[in-house]
Amino acid sequence: MILRKAKGIHIDGFKKMSRELPLREYLDPQFVYIPLLQQNSPLKKVVEIGSDVKIGQVVAMREGFGAMPIHASISGTVTAFKKVWHASGKMIEAIEIENDKLSRLDDSILPEINIKILSQEQLIQKMRDGGLSGLGGAGFPTYIKYQTKCPIDTIIINAIECEPYMTCDYMLTVKYPEKLLKGLSYFIKAANARNGIIAFKSYNQDIKNVLEPLLDKYPNIELRELKDVYPAGWEKYVVEQVTNKTYVKLPSEAGVIVDNSATAICFADMVDNNIPLISRVITITGEGIKQPQNFYVPLGTKVSDLIALAGGYVEGLDPKISWYLAGGPMTGRAILIDELIVNDTLGAVIVKGIPKDNENPECLGCGKCSDVCPVFLTPTAIKSAFDRNDVSLIKNLNADKCMQCGLCSYICPSRIEITDFVARAKTLMAKGA
Amino acid sequence: MARFSGGKAPFLRITDSGEKGTKIIMRDFIIGLLPVVLFAWYKNGIMVYIEGNITFMEMLYPLIFIILGGLLSVLFEAVFFYITDKSARNVKGIMGKLKLSYGAIPGLLLALFLPLYTPIWVLMFGCFMATIVGKMLFGGFGHNIFNPAILGGVAIMFTLYGVIGKAGGFLNASEVLVDSYAGATPLAILSSSKAIDYNTIVAPYGNLWNFFIGTIPGSIGETSFLVIMISYLWLSIRKVINWSTPLIYVGTVFVLSWIIGMVNGEAGIWFPVYSILSGGLVFGAVFMATEPVTTPKNSLGKIYFALFIGALTVLFRFIGNFPEGVATSIIVMNIFTMPLDNVTAVIRSTGIKKKTIGKFAFLTILLLLIMVYAVIKSMNLYSLSAIFVGGLF
Repeated sequence: MILRKAKGIHIDGFKKMSRELPLREYLDPQFVYIPLLQQNSPLKKVVEIGSDVKIGQVVAMREGFGAMPIHASISGTVTAFKKVWHASGKMIEAIEIENDKLSRLDDSILPEINIKILSQEQLIQKMRDGGLSGLGGAGFPTYIKYQTKCPIDTIIINAIECEPYMTCDYMLTVKYPEKLLKGLSYFIKAANARNGIIAFKSYNQDIKNVLEPLLDKYPNIELRELKDVYPAGWEKYVVEQVTNKTYVKLPSEAGVIVDNSATAICFADMVDNNIPLISRVITITGEGIKQPQNFYVPLGTKVSDLIALAGGYVEGLDPKISWYLAGGPMTGRAILIDELIVNDTLGAVIVKGIPKDNENPECLGCGKCSDVCPVFLTPTAIKSAFDRNDVSLIKNLNADKCMQCGLCSYICPSRIEITDFVARAKTLMAKGA
Repeated sequence: MARFSGGKAPFLRITDSGEKGTKIIMRDFIIGLLPVVLFAWYKNGIMVYIEGNITFMEMLYPLIFIILGGLLSVLFEAVFFYITDKSARNVKGIMGKLKLSYGAIPGLLLALFLPLYTPIWVLMFGCFMATIVGKMLFGGFGHNIFNPAILGGVAIMFTLYGVIGKAGGFLNASEVLVDSYAGATPLAILSSSKAIDYNTIVAPYGNLWNFFIGTIPGSIGETSFLVIMISYLWLSIRKVINWSTPLIYVGTVFVLSWIIGMVNGEAGIWFPVYSILSGGLVFGAVFMATEPVTTPKNSLGKIYFALFIGALTVLFRFIGNFPEGVATSIIVMNIFTMPLDNVTAVIRSTGIKKKTIGKFAFLTILLLLIMVYAVIKSMNLYSLSAIFVGGLF
């Protein structure tokens, strides 16, 4: 059958506000909190209260699937194990480290001498030792992707960032284009792939402008411009648009590995200087923030520090009628208490008011939700099957294809939480099967 | 530390700006009805007044009739809310409910496809059937199975058609004076003459240009192709209706009528053109077949729905008791909306694969069978030579 490519629609970006100020570094917070959770796996801590830690020292281990070490992002003393608010919307136990402001590096952080002769296995081992996980939002351990048995042809760098408001990947890419290309060339080597493609959105022409002059040195890397639509940054959309191939579960079935641009930049440092994953860029933005901007911070930094640096909330912001969102507005989560900490998957914190006019008429059946669905589902049919508890129909309607991009709720003229219904139908289906 | 509000993703909605939303869709729909209402008033009121056949007050009657239709259904809804919902027994409560129920639309549509001289009490009966039986008893806006306006219209057609005829029927004061109109709409003549003949079914009304402009006898709002096209463009541009549904529906009727014409020895293009210009087809196609609540939600379902009502409309024009096929075909397909929606949703999300090819083939074959049957039935009616063939069915 002909490949029906996933599709998307253009939505307003709201990206301008956080791009006006330059990327700001904030490397010495008083405290950091390393959450003992990565994706859905709890971590085992390997330090005690009172332990002295250096930057890059292993403080916790992920075990089982995706086992890898997690590192301290500042140097200092472990002062407590505390519960903190995490981007998953729950309170998670975390290792509190008090900064000694000396920036002592762990012995493992030193420039790599043998970059040229690193083998495929050594590169993958570096990903694992560095605790590299996808910085796009899913937090999937990167080395698992590279241990695939399928032959890999192409590495795609996802520099699309289709979520509105977010600009963290854009800012980082524009600042370190060289590192991005270097990281990608290491990725190509690690997968023994033929070429690499950097996919970006037509909205972000700057990415093309900064990368194009540097491409001479990398003959097997090319740029690919994708349309300014949502969800253009979805892995499957990227793979289908770039390669004209599709897959069921993992991109490696199509001979492709997709990595986020921030992950590639991090990997360049990891290979060159053995610096593990200890920092990331986060966008602090939204109509409720005085000076929206991006921060380059150690993992575990308190978001409240960053909001204070960004001038705080705008005057007259009433938290009761505002949202404090972890992640982008389409797929993120509303956090009730503004005491979030930065973790590897948190790309943005957005503070914005709740729109006043939220009338909720009945579904009028316009079918716009099914028109915009990137994977051709009919959310209304899934909802009515869910209301009737009809698991076999939910299955036939392919509810499991939904990746909760949120477009159906976005487009709904009656403001029905249709994405949520489909998500619940998906859960019901998983339980029933 | 501050406590923020909760919510569900996505935290960005197209309705945030207040420029889109169900309210706006309904407003745009009523704006889309305006050209039709104005033309109906012009044709049945102003023009007749200019010709000197009615008084000034009578000139206002068509407009009052249409608005009354809308008012009556809102009134019925208010009464219904008052009776069934204790929380709505004050002005504010009822207004809040009415605001989210969009009650005027079925009444307006119903009035627009009734004959001009429908007695007011018949209109009231129609509005009652449309709003209370067709809409509120199913659970109100968004839960009705049948298109409320059509249900009201069909209820009137099945029970009180004679009353309307006696009260004056389709013809306005000027049209009564034209001998060749013979008290009937073009489709009624086709139905009674049982022959596809330009001289009997088109010539009495002048030519097809009159059909296009809409100066032929018919229900109040349905006659003008031109005006309804203007509404269609507006509604499509504002994305109130799905632009493809009316096209597919009208296209199906066009092609099928052409085949029927050819089978019956009349190959001229005038017959399919006549078929789509008469009998409120475009009115039904633009305002009824696109009604979102009672038609399938996914795009494949919408395509099949339009194809099916197209085939059924042609069929009902030849086998039905009534010359009209639009209302009956839409209401018949309304019954099958839910299963059709589910089946097409499965096909659409899976793609045409082993699992779904059977369903796909079933729908398509059923559609073709109806079309073939309509062609055969037309031969049965129209050409003596085919009586034997038709008789077999």
